[in-house]
Amino acid sequence: MNSILDFIANETNSKNYKSYKYCIENIAVPKLQYDDKQDIVVKRLGETDKGLRYSKSLKEYAIKEQGNQLFKFFLDGSRRTYKVDDIAFDNKIYPVIAGQIGVGVCYRENKDTFKSFQINNPLAISLPSVLNSGGKNDELFFNQLLEKVNQLDVLQKQSLKFERILPYKYNASKEDDKYEDRGVARIQDEMINLEKKAVKELVRQKQLNKNAFLIKDGSLEYEWDKTDFKNISSIKSNYASVVGVSKAFNPESLSSYNKRISQIIADLPEFHRTPAFMYETTRIPDVKFAVWYLRIRKTINPFDGVVKIEKILVWDKEEEEGLDSDEIDLISANIINERNPVCYGQDNRWAKHLYPIFLTEKYIKSRYLSDSHFINLF
Amino acid sequence: MSKIIGKIAATEKAPTTIDVFYFWTNKNRILNPFDVVKVKHIDNSITFGVIEEISHITDSASYLSSFISSDFGNVELQPNMNRIGMNYVKAKVVGNSENIYTPVLDGSDVSLADANEILQALGLDKIKNPMPCGYIEMYRGEDKKILPVNFNAQFLIGPEGAHLNISGISGLAAKTSYSMFLLKSIQQTYGNHTGVDDNDNDSVAFVVFNVKGRDLLAIDEPNTKLSREDKKIYEEMLNINTKPFENVKYFYPYAEHTSSKTFSYGETSDIEAQIDNNKAFRYKYIFKEDKDNLELLFANVEDTSGTMESIVNFIVTGNDKFSDVDSWNTLINTVKEYKQSGRKDGDKDISVMSWRKFSRIISKSLSHSIFQKAVIPEKNEIRLQEAVSNIKKNEVHVVDIAKLDEDTQAFVFGDVIRAIYDLKLGQKEYRDEKDIPSKIIIFIDELNKYASKDIPKNSPILRQILDIAERGRSLGIVLFSVEQFKSAIHDRVKGNCATHAFGRTNAIEISKSDYNFVPLVYKNMMTRLSPGEYILEHPVFRSLLNIKFPNPLYKQFPNG
Repeated sequence: MNSILDFIANETNSKNYKSYKYCIENIAVPKLQYDDKQDIVVKRLGETDKGLRYSKSLKEYAIKEQGNQLFKFFLDGSRRTYKVDDIAFDNKIYPVIAGQIGVGVCYRENKDTFKSFQINNPLAISLPSVLNSGGKNDELFFNQLLEKVNQLDVLQKQSLKFERILPYKYNASKEDDKYEDRGVARIQDEMINLEKKAVKELVRQKQLNKNAFLIKDGSLEYEWDKTDFKNISSIKSNYASVVGVSKAFNPESLSSYNKRISQIIADLPEFHRTPAFMYETTRIPDVKFAVWYLRIRKTINPFDGVVKIEKILVWDKEEEEGLDSDEIDLISANIINERNPVCYGQDNRWAKHLYPIFLTEKYIKSRYLSDSHFINLF
Repeated sequence: MSKIIGKIAATEKAPTTIDVFYFWTNKNRILNPFDVVKVKHIDNSITFGVIEEISHITDSASYLSSFISSDFGNVELQPNMNRIGMNYVKAKVVGNSENIYTPVLDGSDVSLADANEILQALGLDKIKNPMPCGYIEMYRGEDKKILPVNFNAQFLIGPEGAHLNISGISGLAAKTSYSMFLLKSIQQTYGNHTGVDDNDNDSVAFVVFNVKGRDLLAIDEPNTKLSREDKKIYEEMLNINTKPFENVKYFYPYAEHTSSKTFSYGETSDIEAQIDNNKAFRYKYIFKEDKDNLELLFANVEDTSGTMESIVNFIVTGNDKFSDVDSWNTLINTVKEYKQSGRKDGDKDISVMSWRKFSRIISKSLSHSIFQKAVIPEKNEIRLQEAVSNIKKNEVHVVDIAKLDEDTQAFVFGDVIRAIYDLKLGQKEYRDEKDIPSKIIIFIDELNKYASKDIPKNSPILRQILDIAERGRSLGIVLFSVEQFKSAIHDRVKGNCATHAFGRTNAIEISKSDYNFVPLVYKNMMTRLSPGEYILEHPVFRSLLNIKFPNPLYKQFPNG
């Protein structure tokens, strides 16, 4: 039986090595990864109440909001990547990266009903684009290859199929820019695309409104591609009821605006939030964000009980004056109310993990094929 | 289309097997132990299971996690959402529509069964020789099903299997009520059978001991307080008419100095009315005819060296001075002579001490007024053995022993079962074989008094009961026995009972080895059963059944 890798090598006139297959997340040395990007520019405060200097308590507001569930939808994306082989082409060796992507939205109707709203679990392969040696359009070439791969017995028998073959750039790699990372990055990008699509779909179905917000796990600082810029305002409006909540953030990222920011965050009393700041990134010049920090739980480690909340500023007025402070308070109070139950004992980040997000993440991961199953497809 | 309530979950640690499967359901779905579920299986077959355990789990890793989730122990806290949770259910496989017993597959649909499927699953759909034994209730709300349950009579009263044992501490005469419910069911099914030709099956007769108050002293009188619902269950569901027992005869112990001339808890007027209607009799024991049963007075006496037995033999065979004894009184007096020290006559092997022990025991028992010189038939007096030996088809004999002391109760019980045994062995030559009921069912409460593990091995009553337990199936003697604690009963008696009914019992009892085969959840249920509820084990059922039965059809005496 023809294996996927033999087939690809054959189709692309390259040579595969049957090297050791492994899950990259299991092998790689864990690095501290922040959800926020590092090229942040903060120019001013991002909320209408300009008088707030350090923090404000939302304890009372949170108690008042108990029973009101502002957040109805929860979005999370995740991926697992594998190095499945090395492939030689034109005297160079390139890694073959494959991945399982999961992007899911869960819906919470009431205290006891938590259901999947949409789920997307594609499988993808990332190959060096050099394999398209014939000068065809990359997309066309790899799509044709994908179709042939999906006809292979090994996949047909198990009713599995790959959704994408993603080419990564093959120009000479620098010391800290490995081919492997490029392949992983393509799979990561694909996951982000699916996340954006998920939001778009929710908006299209008119599910999101001022009483039904969506929490997206992690930052909203998406890379927008060129086609996005053409209708940036309509894309922004998709995010009117979307909030990004990050567990891992760089407390220094706003220090260019406020040098004491990391200490303010560390000293935040329970159920207090910082003022919201307005920032933009050089990569997404037309999109401005309001960002603030909120302590949902007292912890020993100063940053453990704090989440970073982001919201895209949708309307011109918001971009000028900042996000309405009342809306910030409402969002914050509702996030405080999401602090329980906790996933203590199951996730080390329990002190700032929001339970519905934790469930969504678990749901997505439960849909993955097991590592050994996936690896042995190749 | 059946209602799907969950899906099979087969995991590495809890796989589905030939015997069991697990499925998850919504946490709000109400199911009960003993409910039947069905699972879609390979080749379009259906596997049936009976629920054994239901567990609720959440994703909480520990109790600590739950504590932390309430802001470290704030009992007032109402979180925005509850933990994700579900129930998982363990079910025992009871069958497959195509006899496929490979384990059910992960993800298969699990649904509630309809009435026919429930009967099929439990092996109740094709029961031969059906005889109503109660009803089962299943599911809740709109899905609720109430279905009649039948025994295969051939496994209850022979020849395939025989004997019933009921245990429990339910009180309020629940065990007696259930036994009588079954006897009524048998009387209706077999009552008009003559047993003469093959097509007419078996004929039956019943001998019932009344051991408590007036419980069974009016079983041919209707229960005027029977509710409409119960009547409906009898008539419409179980097909049993609501008449009380028919052809009943009552036997009361004779007494000299009471107004009713009986030694009974029954009201004098009631007894007299029964006597006037020739339904009731006073029983007596006459030395000449009943001396052979003397040994029965020693049923509970430890007699390892066999001396008591020797003395009984010595007397019964009329040795020495006992050749002249013709009444219980002269017997006592003669025995007194033997217990004098320094006597030279008599059996040399029997010591004076033994005679004294013997005298002590019989003097107390024989002082009872049932031990008399003669019976006067005109006054409705009879010898019990004679009456029982003449039992006719479809007759119910109620022997009242409630007010007798324990040793005399044992004597009467032993005498009756000996009479039945002899009758069925064909030793009553004066009776035509065709007139003898082919099955005689004996109902005895407090079996532990006669067949517990502590009863001396030489007890003649125990020997008799063991004989009936082991040979009764073929002889046509069926024992319906009742006790509080099954674990106390002799293994050979229990082991020979084909059908067992378990009523409410206590935690100590269910920890005994007799209950090892019962799943833990059912065991715990046994400690909570209500008076009208029993867990049944019967050879043709594929699983234990939790059955209910209606209130008795005969007159009840609430105060005993």
